[in-house]
Amino acid sequence: MKKKILEFLKLILIFSFGKVKKFTLRFKKTKTMKDMMIVYYSEAKAAPLTGKKVAWITSGGPVEPLIAMDIIPVYPENHGAMIGAAKMGGGLCEKAEAMGYSSDLCSYARSDISCATVNGGPIGGLPKPDMLICCNNICGTVLKWYEVQARYFNVPLFILDTPICHTQYTPEIARYVRSQFDEYFAFLESACQKKLNYDRLNEVLLRSFQTQVLWQEILDTTRSKPSPMTAFDAFFHMALIVTLRGTPEVVDYYTELLKTMKDRAARGIGAVPNEKYRLLWDNIPIWHRMRWLSKEFASHNACLVADTYTSAWCGTLKYVKGDNPIDSMAEVYTRIYLNIGVDEMAKMVIEMIDKYEVDGLVLHSNRSCKPYSFGQLDIQKIVERERGLPCLMIESDMVDERSFSEGQISTRIDAFMEIIKERKEKSKK
Amino acid sequence: MKTAGIDIGSITAKAAIFDSGKLVATKVIFTGYNAEAAGLRVYEEVLKETGFDKNNVVKIVSTGYGRSSVKFADKSYTEIMCHAAGAHFLNQHIRSIIDIGGQDSKAILLDDNGKVKNFVMNDKCAAGTGRFLEVMARALEVNLDEFGAMSIKSKQPSRISSLCTVFAESEVISLIAKGEQRQDIIAGIHESIAARISSMIGRVGIKEPVMITGGVARNVGVVHALEKKLGMKIEVSPYAQVNGAIGAAILAASL
Amino acid sequence: MEEITEIKNITADPYAYCRKYKDETGKKIVGYTCSYTPEELIYAAGALPFRIFGTNQDIRLADANLQSYCCSLVRGILEEALSNRLDFIDGVIFPHTCDSIQRLSDIWRINVKQKFHIDFVLPVKLNTASARQYLFDILEKLKNDLERALSVQITDATLADAVKTYNQIRALMKKLYALRVQRPAIISGRDFHSIIKAAMMMDRKIFLKTIEKIVTQIETSDRKVISGDKRLVLAGSVCSHPEIYDIIEQAGGIVVGDDLCTGSRYFEGVMDENVSPMEAIARRYLNRPVCPAKHNGLTNRGENIIRIVRESKADGVVFLLLKFCDPHAFDYPDIKAMLDKENIPCMLLDMEEQLPAEAQLQTRFETFIQIL
Repeated sequence: MKKKILEFLKLILIFSFGKVKKFTLRFKKTKTMKDMMIVYYSEAKAAPLTGKKVAWITSGGPVEPLIAMDIIPVYPENHGAMIGAAKMGGGLCEKAEAMGYSSDLCSYARSDISCATVNGGPIGGLPKPDMLICCNNICGTVLKWYEVQARYFNVPLFILDTPICHTQYTPEIARYVRSQFDEYFAFLESACQKKLNYDRLNEVLLRSFQTQVLWQEILDTTRSKPSPMTAFDAFFHMALIVTLRGTPEVVDYYTELLKTMKDRAARGIGAVPNEKYRLLWDNIPIWHRMRWLSKEFASHNACLVADTYTSAWCGTLKYVKGDNPIDSMAEVYTRIYLNIGVDEMAKMVIEMIDKYEVDGLVLHSNRSCKPYSFGQLDIQKIVERERGLPCLMIESDMVDERSFSEGQISTRIDAFMEIIKERKEKSKK
Repeated sequence: MKTAGIDIGSITAKAAIFDSGKLVATKVIFTGYNAEAAGLRVYEEVLKETGFDKNNVVKIVSTGYGRSSVKFADKSYTEIMCHAAGAHFLNQHIRSIIDIGGQDSKAILLDDNGKVKNFVMNDKCAAGTGRFLEVMARALEVNLDEFGAMSIKSKQPSRISSLCTVFAESEVISLIAKGEQRQDIIAGIHESIAARISSMIGRVGIKEPVMITGGVARNVGVVHALEKKLGMKIEVSPYAQVNGAIGAAILAASL
Repeated sequence: MEEITEIKNITADPYAYCRKYKDETGKKIVGYTCSYTPEELIYAAGALPFRIFGTNQDIRLADANLQSYCCSLVRGILEEALSNRLDFIDGVIFPHTCDSIQRLSDIWRINVKQKFHIDFVLPVKLNTASARQYLFDILEKLKNDLERALSVQITDATLADAVKTYNQIRALMKKLYALRVQRPAIISGRDFHSIIKAAMMMDRKIFLKTIEKIVTQIETSDRKVISGDKRLVLAGSVCSHPEIYDIIEQAGGIVVGDDLCTGSRYFEGVMDENVSPMEAIARRYLNRPVCPAKHNGLTNRGENIIRIVRESKADGVVFLLLKFCDPHAFDYPDIKAMLDKENIPCMLLDMEEQLPAEAQLQTRFETFIQIL
């Protein structure tokens, strides 16, 4: 009984804190990422008090219908990134292994599964879900992960099955995914016991597309030499387009950010003080070593100007067609970077190499992410053949800091940069 | 009734003689490359100590990696069964056994009758075995016998995160270069092995009281780190290294 | 038994069998990587469906395309393909299974020359109307793709014949499974394993005749079988190690049932011969025992394993967990919890294409069987 009262008081505290924070932000000209994340997570955690429903959703999942239904979306993968950044991944993964989960499984999944049982992690655990939304456009692991959580929390699970487009987006796939969106809407209506307002959904979708356009423009500012921001900055700022895409607050934030970056670019202010070499990053960031990696590359005057990960949240804008945004959703969510063939991915990498005028490719061979990592060796071969660029492969894990050998990786980066430097010298002569 | 137990491990061969439920003698020798010869030799040597004749010994059980090469044994049981029997003999309240050998480690869960209920083994990876400690002691130029005692002196163990023994070694070397205190590094190493063992135990569950056996049981640092990690007291078998042979001799009595 | 010896000879060198088959019949061979391939269509197209497994050679070439944290089945398949040992295959079908197979398909398509490469991207969900419709749609597409690739017509007649033949094969395999439950060790585990392997590579009409003979002989045999052994059910994905059966039998156990991809999941599921063949085939793949890479509810697989344990009167379950196999590894803890609740003991064995040292396996099995 005492425990319940304490839990209740804790909720009231979080709720009030969130409300106060939200109020003070009205008077702030520029809201920081931290401000927005605090309000977001406070509201999510205080949901039992406000009666709002909480949905856990995968990072590639369609969040717009949730926003339109006033359901608070929570992203265990975003939480996973926070766990990694706080260097708590190893500990939580260890706990998952003790629960019987193989140490070779995705570290986002492992840390989330154990975190849920102990309310661990940097924010004392995620708020319990009322429903789970799993879209497998990013990988098959999320299906198994969300099955585990559906059994654990005993809540309804909706699976949006987006078949992989090895070489093409077929009419069969289009039909299948489109009909599942109707199932998705019906699922949400049943979970919330209220009808979906289609006008509202269209509004949210348009705002989401607008946000994606802004995000692409922000990422494109790095075409300037020197680049006003690095991929590490992008990894930081991406949290909002992942978690709150479709809300007006996120549009404001990115409008501000774009202004800032354009301004820096115009004044020739580079994120790396003496930018000499420009690099492209592939795969999910190594969340627990961002600062170290940033420093390592900066010490070589190298700037990671672009990456294949952050650009995934605006990469399917080209599939938005016609007047009915809802009909475009199927293609937009199916043809993402990870849901196409390896040769298609290589084409996109080469496009980015040309667009951002890059001197080298850094591939994070991420133990936790098979769809992203398997095929990298072929992409590397294709890049070397088509553009003759030096490539560096870094073996690690995105969240489990136990899979990182600093000495080894530092040596590799040094050797890679030596090659790049020599090539640049040669090409100058 | 006189019985004998012979445990042929990859490094050492052990033997134990029981007489009417009482432990009479034990022996440890190096196995070498001929397991069969080692089995014969350790048996003869332990018999010499007791003064018994071969014909006095009624039943013999062999165990360990080389158990099938002990041709004169009446039966062979796995080392898991034998460690359980040995631990139960020493303390019938024991419900969990942690066995850390030179090249593998195991966790064994016993039921209320001292019989094996469940078990888990790590015999693929050096981290979590005596080999891990050997490699580290060499890297730090410390005698393996003093390794454990030194670890307890530390008040702030270093964090060694690498999963792999080889990478952990290079991690330790860079810690030395960074100027971290030797005993802190050593403590970190012991915490690392405790973490691996604890993770393995998690897969089969643990129930107190807990006993530790195997060669590494003599390392006070590992015991200390494990107690800290698991949050429970661990009884160290006084016959840690020969526990398997003892268990084999006991099981021989019920044949 | 003569038929079993014949089968063992064939499965000892599958590639030699295939080359001989091509020489003698002039027919084509279509390779596939997973039991969700509707091989009835391959059969109806007049080609031999051949299941591709990993390698027993060292992995050398595949390292250039696949990292080490990939399961040895997938790396092994790629190794075989890159080494040109599979050059007798006329084309390959890659059904959608898991993330690793998905990328293997791309890597194979980019690096291996073959006459045709078809991706059959099954739905991952099997329990909704839209998934059923989608499966039906892609099955039609697969039929057209195969017709084009093999330059044949797949008629209703050939499809009906395929359905009938496969139903007969599966019915006989089920009978064999039932015989094993009643009289375990009537044939050794190793022989059983060979029969299953043969089912996935032999001329299906010949295999049907052979298995018919085998089942009849076993049914009419009055050979007494001692069964004081502990009865085990194997659960997992692909078991390409007949030695496991030997080790189990030496340790005092006997395999009486399984939930394996190279096992009951391949044989369960009767096709309705009263509906159109395409409909019957689609329904079978939707309803057969589910693989962890597919979703047909939250607890189906655990329930299926418990059912198999009860029906085969087993004493325990051994999970053969292929290292780096994500779908199976995610399933394990909750299924184990279900088994614990039913008081069914189980053991987990980490596997790779290269088996761990025999001594290690012996220790584990001996101890587990002692506990039962």
